Amino acid sequence: MRAFLLRRAGRALVTVFVVLIATFGLTRIAYRNPAASLAARNDNQQVIEGITRALRLDEPWYLQLWHYLFRGPDIQGAPMGLFHAPPALGYSFRRQQPVTDLILSKISATASLALGALVIWILVSILFGVLAARRPGSLTDRVLGGFSYVGLSLPTFLTGILLSYFLFFTLSTYGVRWFPSSGYVPLTEDPFEWARHLLLPWATIALAEIGIFQRVVRAGMLDVLSADFIRTARAKGIPEWRVHFDHALSAALNPLITLGGLELAVVFGGAIVTERIFGIDGVGRLAIDSALTGDYPVVIGTTLFASIVFILANFAVDVVTRLRDPNLRAAEALV
Amino acid sequence: MSDALPAAPEAPPRTLASRISRERSARFGLITIATVVLLAGAAPIVAAITGHGPTDQYPAEALSEAGVPVGPNGDFWLGADGNGRDVLVRALYGARVSLLVGIPATTIAAVLGTAIGVVSGYFGGALDRVLSQVTDIVLSFPFVVTALSLVALNLGADGSPRISPVLLVIVVIALFAWTYVARLTRGLTLELRHRPFVEAAITLGASHRRIILREILPSVAPAVIIYWAVQLPTNIVAEATLSFLGIGVQAPTPSWGNMIADAQSTSLYQVQPWFLVVPAVGLFLTVLGFNALSSGVRNVLDPAR
Repeated sequence: MRAFLLRRAGRALVTVFVVLIATFGLTRIAYRNPAASLAARNDNQQVIEGITRALRLDEPWYLQLWHYLFRGPDIQGAPMGLFHAPPALGYSFRRQQPVTDLILSKISATASLALGALVIWILVSILFGVLAARRPGSLTDRVLGGFSYVGLSLPTFLTGILLSYFLFFTLSTYGVRWFPSSGYVPLTEDPFEWARHLLLPWATIALAEIGIFQRVVRAGMLDVLSADFIRTARAKGIPEWRVHFDHALSAALNPLITLGGLELAVVFGGAIVTERIFGIDGVGRLAIDSALTGDYPVVIGTTLFASIVFILANFAVDVVTRLRDPNLRAAEALV
Repeated sequence: MSDALPAAPEAPPRTLASRISRERSARFGLITIATVVLLAGAAPIVAAITGHGPTDQYPAEALSEAGVPVGPNGDFWLGADGNGRDVLVRALYGARVSLLVGIPATTIAAVLGTAIGVVSGYFGGALDRVLSQVTDIVLSFPFVVTALSLVALNLGADGSPRISPVLLVIVVIALFAWTYVARLTRGLTLELRHRPFVEAAITLGASHRRIILREILPSVAPAVIIYWAVQLPTNIVAEATLSFLGIGVQAPTPSWGNMIADAQSTSLYQVQPWFLVVPAVGLFLTVLGFNALSSGVRNVLDPAR
């Protein structure tokens, strides 16, 4: 297990490093004249030159990268340098804040969105998948199959618009104000308002994912239900619901974990569409707003954030799958 | 002799095409897709009949005094949008964009991904490690933000795009989509590498080129073709999403994504739903059709699932 972990960690580090270099290069080439686009609209030439000096934009790119990676000069009192304790991602002139602080301040919204949606979509998918697999071809299976097609075929932005139209706009024209149309209330401030504001965004993300995951659970269950250990469990007289939800499900869960980790990482790295439609001020919105305005330090920071989340999720999936694998567990015990 | 044998069970339909066309969801998918393709092909004809081009604006005829677009009538069959443009004509041209971006992007991804996956799985060793690492790196880039950087990269010094935005969207989608194909084909190739027929070819002294082209590719191809059909709807949605966010196909060129964005941003759809509903239904049915077809084909080829 240790050798496996070390190997994976090495690969993950290489991946993060290459993503960093590539994003740095890409943004430095793509955003022409960044100092001018970072400055406020009515700033004079002096300010632009100041920004140029502060970001070392007048130096060759490898020196810029050097300043970015190792501790360069502080900008507005904010340290630079990824290999600095604590790691710092530079300074956003447009938002007048260190990039690290910016990202950290948006994580709670994005995490609430991603993790809440994950809980909903996994629970619903398991329930629907197990029900559908009970009798393949039955009415339940066909109805749930149709639901999964719809979920799979509705793009997130369309689901978001439809949900906010019917559940916010139409309901509120009848005076029913259950769901707010936008905004985010931190959990620590008011748990009820937190959930109320996130219900529609959660549903938006969950619907698309349920379309995929429900099928994964169903296929896994159908595979497992014909296995010998299920016949044994039935022969032992274990109630049928326990055979399904206990024995079969835990064996059918592996593809769910693998796919779940990857999809969670994608949502966590920036549910850009959902955050935009429902006005949630998360990492995804930060990323796209910065990319649109040419705030390149934030673009690098959010890209790095998304890829680190992706790599960590992959890593976690690998470890969990290995820990759950009975054959590997037995082999580890022998070592 | 022969009449002593028991009656043979009814033979399943012989050809693959007839088996696929008998599968219910595959048939639904085929009909839906054929309809979309026909309608996309008919776009110029409809434009000629109605006399409305896809980007022509008719504020006088199509907008009320308050600026609310008209609903379906004899002139504007499916109503008009907030700029007084014909929704039907635009939606039909939008179908063309969807297909013209989705199909090439998916095909490029399939070819590139297969090439990288097969080479990686066949040769193994250091080459495999490098290519797998490259796949990991591409996968860990966030799609939309990277797409935005590439759009910015595509702007020339004077602010006009260097290559057409439609071409760029194809490149961006293909750039991300090949990774999944590469992972799939690498896994399949690793398995095939030790099958008797491949080892026989190696023992006979066949060249790598010959083994890859004649032994491995034909065995990998069916999975790649199925995966092509699975990925196509995803890529059509990717194009629509990029266009919805304003970084894909650029206005005034109609695409379902930017038509929906237009409808949403003005909130006029709350008064006049038609110009949201038409592109939305078009996109939904197209994606649903391809999803149904691909899962129907999988049912036929892999009945265990």
